[in-house]
Amino acid sequence: MHFLRCVFAEWALVRPRLVRTRFGLCLLLLGVALVWLGHHGADPLAVALHAGALGSVVGAAFAIGSAADRAALVIALGHPTTPLAVATGRWLAAVLPAAGLAVACSLAVGWQTPSAVAGLVAASAVAGCALTAVLLAGSGAALALFICMALAGAVPPEAFVSIADPGAVRVAVASALELGPALWRYREVATGSAGAVLHAAAWAALGIVLASGLVRRRGGARAP
Amino acid sequence: MTDYALTLHEVCGPQPLDAVSLALLPGEIIGIIGPAGAGKTTLLKVAAGLVRPGRGTVWRSGAAGYAPEAPVFPPALTVREVLGYYARFHAIGAMRRVLVHDALEIAGLAPIANARAAALGRVDLQRLALAQASLGGRQVLLLDETLSGLDPLARRDLCTRVAHLVATGVAVLLAARDLSALERLASRVLVLRAGRVVRAGSVAALLAERVLEVFLDHPPPEPPPGFRVTAAGLEAPLAGRTPEAALALCRAHRLAVRASRVRVKSLEEIVLDAHDASR
Repeated sequence: MHFLRCVFAEWALVRPRLVRTRFGLCLLLLGVALVWLGHHGADPLAVALHAGALGSVVGAAFAIGSAADRAALVIALGHPTTPLAVATGRWLAAVLPAAGLAVACSLAVGWQTPSAVAGLVAASAVAGCALTAVLLAGSGAALALFICMALAGAVPPEAFVSIADPGAVRVAVASALELGPALWRYREVATGSAGAVLHAAAWAALGIVLASGLVRRRGGARAP
Repeated sequence: MTDYALTLHEVCGPQPLDAVSLALLPGEIIGIIGPAGAGKTTLLKVAAGLVRPGRGTVWRSGAAGYAPEAPVFPPALTVREVLGYYARFHAIGAMRRVLVHDALEIAGLAPIANARAAALGRVDLQRLALAQASLGGRQVLLLDETLSGLDPLARRDLCTRVAHLVATGVAVLLAARDLSALERLASRVLVLRAGRVVRAGSVAALLAERVLEVFLDHPPPEPPPGFRVTAAGLEAPLAGRTPEAALALCRAHRLAVRASRVRVKSLEEIVLDAHDASR
């Protein structure tokens, strides 16, 4: 129960950030752009996946991306909370606005339940990855991840590997797309693939665990 | 048996802490003094439980509130929201609101409760650091330079607020560069150098130490034993001897004494002496 209370304390920081920072505006602009693409040829599934994934990258950047937000973790950890609760709460703070964006975009381009679910699954997986990246390297990592997700996230790895005489970079990119929370895989959620859902759940869990380790390191190793 | 609020026994590591021991009573303020890198912040973090000691034991009677030297708060939140955020870790519902209200009152933050954390100046940041550290009725406060670098009025106000907390039984471990705040508040001080306690004692006893200042027409080439040369002549601590005996030593060295006076040592001199003696 105390753990849930601590998670809620982190999640409750979302509302002021949505209203008082550029977080709300960024999500709005992202949503407008994706809906525009949806009305100009992009399929609803791609719109929902990108809304979930890109929204959660933006959410992670605003949840813990700034140097001040990361420095403030030291004081938070001086209170009766845990790094795992902090990481879980910040993950939720990244996922839930992105999930809202995915649902809103799905509604705007023509509701399809499988597409919206795929968007939510993509949001949860990408948020785990984004949270870890942002804790490691700040908002710059979020920008890099955003661009990667927007440009190459939906490309299947075969597209890179099948290029003749692939170099090390191509193999690395293909591997990242194969193992990472790439959107091509979460398209399969819409067709009911349990493997894709499990992959997303694994990324969400891994992201939270890695992020909690990084949060612990920020506050110093708490004595038992 | 004495009921301590906080004890550290032979704490070694992380660097530079080396066999530091202390015992803090409820309602007591211990000042930690020392140059940069002496281990003051590390000692407070170990006492707060934020950093694990390499060796030795730390015991607290309850949770300790920690105020870091350069406190940073979520910039998008107001002062009230910042305290509300931390209060969620301690309580729920109406109790949480009471905690926030009490913390605002303790630190005198009520007039700026709706100001953004990003817009706060140093004084208000230190007030907010004190408020969050005291949240939840904590009985041990670990304040890292919370009273340093403030203007005299702000320092006096914060000193008064800390003193009020101490009067209710709260124990405070206070690291400070600003020794005037310690002279006013602390009952005991520890002087740290390179992670070791090189001097410890009650402020009253330390400030009772006297120094004989001797004014000379010409500075001597070689000071008498126990004296050191100053710009105006000589000075020596009166550790157990009378001023007359010390002056007689000067005369024995054929020094032309123009005038002399006895004064008490400042805390700053005591720290510097301890620092020099431990070299």
